[in-house]
Amino acid sequence: MSTNPDPNSPQSKGSLEQAGASDESIQRVHAILIREKEEPQEGFTPMPLFLLGFISAMIFLGSVYFVHYRGDFDPLVYDTRYDADSAKAAASAPKELSPEQIVAQGRVHYNTCASCHMPNGQGVAGAFPPLAGSEWVTGSEEGLIRILLHGLAGPIMVKGNPYNGNMPAFGPGGGYNWNDKKIAHVLTYIRQEWGNTGAPITVEKVTEIRKAESARSKPWGDAELQPFEKL
Amino acid sequence: MNRAPLIFLGIFFAMAFSWTGIILTNQISYGKLTPYVNLDDGKAYPQSLPGDAARGKLVYQDLGCISCHSQQVRQPGFGTDIERGWGERGSVARDYIREKRVFLGTMRTGPDLRNGGARYAGQGGREWHIKHFYESTLTSAGSIMPPHRFLYETRAIVGEPSPKAVQSLLPAQYQPAPGFEIVLKQRGEDLISYMLALKDPELYPEEAARVYVPKAEPAAKEEAAK
Amino acid sequence: MASASQLAASLKPSASPEMVKRAELSEIDASTKLPALFFFGSSILWLLVGTVFALLASFKMHMPHFLGDYEWLTFGRVRTAHLNAVIYGWSINASFGVAFWLMARLSRAELRHSGLLLIAAAFWNIGVTLGIYGILAGDSTSIEWLEFPPYATPLLFFAYALVGAWAIITFRFGRSKHIYVSQWYVLAALFWFPWIYSVAQIMLIFSPARGTVQSLVNWWFAHNVLGLWFTPIALGAVYYFLPKVLGKPIHSYYLSVLGFWSLAIFYNWAGVHHLIGGPVPVWVQTAGITASFMMVIPVIVTAINHHLTMIGSFSALKFSPTLRFTVFGAVAYTFTSLQGSSMSIRSWSEVTHFTHYTIGHSHAGMYAFFTMVMFGSIYYIMPRIMLKEWPSAKLISVHFWACAIGVSFYVLVLSIGGVKQGMEMNTLPVGADGKVGGPIAFLEIVKNTIPWLKMRSYSGILITIGHLAFAINFVWMLLKPGSVGASAPTLFRNAPDLEVTR
Repeated sequence: MSTNPDPNSPQSKGSLEQAGASDESIQRVHAILIREKEEPQEGFTPMPLFLLGFISAMIFLGSVYFVHYRGDFDPLVYDTRYDADSAKAAASAPKELSPEQIVAQGRVHYNTCASCHMPNGQGVAGAFPPLAGSEWVTGSEEGLIRILLHGLAGPIMVKGNPYNGNMPAFGPGGGYNWNDKKIAHVLTYIRQEWGNTGAPITVEKVTEIRKAESARSKPWGDAELQPFEKL
Repeated sequence: MNRAPLIFLGIFFAMAFSWTGIILTNQISYGKLTPYVNLDDGKAYPQSLPGDAARGKLVYQDLGCISCHSQQVRQPGFGTDIERGWGERGSVARDYIREKRVFLGTMRTGPDLRNGGARYAGQGGREWHIKHFYESTLTSAGSIMPPHRFLYETRAIVGEPSPKAVQSLLPAQYQPAPGFEIVLKQRGEDLISYMLALKDPELYPEEAARVYVPKAEPAAKEEAAK
Repeated sequence: MASASQLAASLKPSASPEMVKRAELSEIDASTKLPALFFFGSSILWLLVGTVFALLASFKMHMPHFLGDYEWLTFGRVRTAHLNAVIYGWSINASFGVAFWLMARLSRAELRHSGLLLIAAAFWNIGVTLGIYGILAGDSTSIEWLEFPPYATPLLFFAYALVGAWAIITFRFGRSKHIYVSQWYVLAALFWFPWIYSVAQIMLIFSPARGTVQSLVNWWFAHNVLGLWFTPIALGAVYYFLPKVLGKPIHSYYLSVLGFWSLAIFYNWAGVHHLIGGPVPVWVQTAGITASFMMVIPVIVTAINHHLTMIGSFSALKFSPTLRFTVFGAVAYTFTSLQGSSMSIRSWSEVTHFTHYTIGHSHAGMYAFFTMVMFGSIYYIMPRIMLKEWPSAKLISVHFWACAIGVSFYVLVLSIGGVKQGMEMNTLPVGADGKVGGPIAFLEIVKNTIPWLKMRSYSGILITIGHLAFAINFVWMLLKPGSVGASAPTLFRNAPDLEVTR
């Protein structure tokens, strides 16, 4: 779209003036540079006063935030809620975990199990047995610990339903490599969750069974575990 | 034109300020981060990647996996990383000191992978990855992760079928023609080794002494004082 | 080309100093012609390439099997190629062209031996080509914003050295006594970029730093490319074209000064906000958050300055393509920056970090702000160096509306989808019994993002149409013969009594 030049507009005036010049490029240059406005200038309106107040408020708020969340400038602090005094008190406190803490730790470890046994312990029908209300969980600890250490394969019955799967070994050599503390804590957790009522499992018991079965590398089968279930 | 040197100095100091504060100070303080030796098993954590996993990390790099996956577990109470089972604790700087290249990532189109090796481990884990890389929906319904079939090759069976053949893990529609088998290329093997090696150890004692501990209740304080 | 004195003499004998100055400007424009043309032409080529990669990446997200058998087109490589093509190909080429044209004009110095800048442009483009090829071939470094393999980067360094040196020489030989605000921004950007790029290359690739110090360097670099290269170049352009097209002065020099220095001090530190919640010490995260928050100061100050300059002249937006693109960009700058400051607040970062929301934000910045301002600048500069007008106002209109609507829709859908994604990721649902349940399944969340990803693809198609209109107009302009006689600027519609120029 090109407007028909208005005879009174600046560009027309310019080009009419140049009718005598032979250089076409001069004409084109004139057209564009003549119609251009002036090069940019700066005005000198003073800064509005409210800006001063606004900026001061921002600086104040920013400083307050920074000081509050500085984590003592400690390069090993990663949590904004970190409080040096509480941390020191906790550090000097006895290292024994309370039953609640053991269950809480067990719940965190359970996240790995949840991918198959589900967060609500119901498992998946026909594929992964439930842990809630399961006789395998609330029954003998001897069998349960062995399942965790070396895995479970082959057909089994859980709460009257058949399952035939492959639970991996969580003890040494299985890839997960959980230590005795982890195994004891997660088993303690599942034995008291979802309505289960089973006694906690101690770390010492897990160590004892691991040593007793140190020669074992294959997963357990139903038949092999039956003697332990009766204990 | 007299203003020019002043502008230059200002520009220089503005940048020097942040470079010193963000990069230099941390470069210095990270110098104190050394691996922690666990007295129970005598190993130094974090551990370096074994050879094939180190090669696998280069495959991760060249395929651009960082475009969808992060490798950092956020602190408890910030996001739900730990509740999702992506880690048992937040990641700390010491976890990365052995890494020649750090892939923290900024997108979670796919899940965080920092502790992928703790979620899928051993032979079962390996088989999960074999299926997942071939066709992600085989293990994860609704996944939008693209297929990585270029990490496998379909080849004619020469003599005996290879023990490394993977088609037994794949459903019927992916079976090769009779007389052919599917095996992982070396790149695929290495990448899976890398996936299985991604595991952070328990929290180091120095960092563990600086986790958030809720302030003790006054009643409990009195109890403890007795 | 006729010299300035000849031109002045060919005007009326009582030619005003203003006319002499303009004749001088035409000489300066002529001296920048070849390099500017090369930079703009290659930038538009890379824009098209980057757009193709963008479409591929966007479609692959909700159609993962699309071209899924080709390793060189796997999503991780295509997305990376898109990023680098639009940043190093389109954006930096356009930046170079606009930056030294502004430098030459504002310093009122001709670009000397400008032909040598053609070598710089050639090296830059060869470097980018090699880099993109390397990414698709599997040599990406997977360091965000720095993915080019090490065999491509030395070429970029060399090209940059030439461009940087030339801009400074031009400034040095300038006749202008006053250093206008755009020049501060451009000079600052030219100084800052090689510093951040070198530090990043050394501490990430050639002599990698320890652990997550790499992450700190990475995000200090990447955010500073945005804030200390692209933002200054675009702001420099806005500060030039806004008053130039309107024929009004910038509202307040003092606001310009304040805006510039507060940007210089705060923007530097803001990069750490990419690492909130990450494995870096809490104090440096807090420093980044505080700086990001303080960025509101330069943004508001600049917005006030621009707005009060525009006030009373908004009707010019009906006519001038340059003004429309530039004002769209300037408004987007305010929006994006305020959005960014809000995203650094920890509780909001907890939700939006790692989600599609951040992608919407990055496009609001690099596209709705930077790219639109570059479009406006190119629409102004090209007629002055080519001495021809843009052939089609219709194509400019298609370009504007397709891209403006396209990018607005893009940002909208990814913002909504991203917030939804983040909320689902990070809140633990409370059951009817009041007990806090487990988190929502990840694959469920992925499924919920798909409609938003599809809508993003549609907005991408719209944006592509805009780019095609632009490219066609550009090539047509190059090929069409220069017209003799009076020429009128290609405007959106007739501007009879308003002396509005491009």
